[in-house]
Amino acid sequence: MVVASLLTLYSVFIIYFMLFSPAEKRFNVAAHLQGSFLSQNLFEILKFQDPENDEIYFEQSVAFNKRGEYKKGFELLDQAVDLNPKVHLGYRGYMKLRFLRDFNGALKDFTRLDPLTPNFVDAPWGEDINFLRGESYFGLKDYEKAKAYFEKSIETQGADWVDIQAYVYAGICEYKMNKPAEAIAFYQKALEQSKYTVEAQLGLAKIYLEKQDLKNAEIHADLAQKYYSYKRNDGYNEYLNEVYKEDIELLQKRFK
Amino acid sequence: MKSKTNLFLFASLVIALILTGWLYYLSGKRVGDLAVDEQQDGDFQVCDEDKIFQYYNLDTDYKGGKKAIKKEILNELESLNFKNQGLVTARFIVNCNGDAGRFRYKSTDLDLKEMKVNSENIERIKSAVLLLQNWNSPKENKVFDSYYVLNFKIRNNKIVDIF
Repeated sequence: MVVASLLTLYSVFIIYFMLFSPAEKRFNVAAHLQGSFLSQNLFEILKFQDPENDEIYFEQSVAFNKRGEYKKGFELLDQAVDLNPKVHLGYRGYMKLRFLRDFNGALKDFTRLDPLTPNFVDAPWGEDINFLRGESYFGLKDYEKAKAYFEKSIETQGADWVDIQAYVYAGICEYKMNKPAEAIAFYQKALEQSKYTVEAQLGLAKIYLEKQDLKNAEIHADLAQKYYSYKRNDGYNEYLNEVYKEDIELLQKRFK
Repeated sequence: MKSKTNLFLFASLVIALILTGWLYYLSGKRVGDLAVDEQQDGDFQVCDEDKIFQYYNLDTDYKGGKKAIKKEILNELESLNFKNQGLVTARFIVNCNGDAGRFRYKSTDLDLKEMKVNSENIERIKSAVLLLQNWNSPKENKVFDSYYVLNFKIRNNKIVDIF
């Protein structure tokens, strides 16, 4: 009898936890177990019990998108956006930019978000919306517009908060538009913020090499190599301006 | 009375076992898991079927990164023609020996709806991916297997980017 009661209690506890324990607690457990079928089942139960809760759809989408199941991931994310566009549009734009390289799709979401948050500079997934717009135009090879948004990001964020990569990207845009002097100025600004900005060191080395200023080219290529471990990278995706050791070595071969 | 107790014990045991089994199943299965299919995967083996990580857990990558992958296979794949624009997303395993296998794919159009892709094109992508030789060495990825994701971006009927 005691054993039977304990077994029953055990079953009741599991059923209670899955169906009736506080939703916030189950949500946290599901988020913590991201990607497991247990997590997905908890999200399904939570959605059934609270179908208007956008955060559940958003959180459930994460595992799918990280693992390349974009159809399912974006179905869920779209539902989160429908329920609460102000909160999730920016993130969806960010995902389209970084995970899908769908630059037009990302820009559409950022543009839709703007009027929803008047007098406020949005920061989808913690990154300045103007920076992300710049990156989207950069992906589209529209360097004029890209540069304008990186400059806007520098202006609105201020020197203390701006992402150093805004200077780097603006420099690359200038370089792509055959304006090496302007590119150098942006790269130098990045280095004023941090000498460890490998992307700016490499950008400068390239320009100096083209100008036949081998001394400066070598200095910056060596610094790029020295600080390589500080390069900008992300565990999920390759950045559009990501630099690689091979880029530096190839450059060094040209003047050594 | 005794038979009622036995029935209660039996029922509670069965329910507890079913729930435990269900939880065990749900905890062990993960989004994006790729099942073994010997017909498709040949003699590709993983080192630990129960412990296959995600690439972002182990920093699994190709030597020289995505740029090196592009350099090795984009030229070859640029000749393929596709009917629609979108993404072909390859998911496969890099095993503890640095070999790639168990290739599967999903494809989505610009609206992220499922997109049909010519099977010959998929075979070409699969061959190119599985021929990549320079995955992290076992020492670097600490002898674990991991899943990897590669996206093939299709615009104007051609693969224009791999990331």
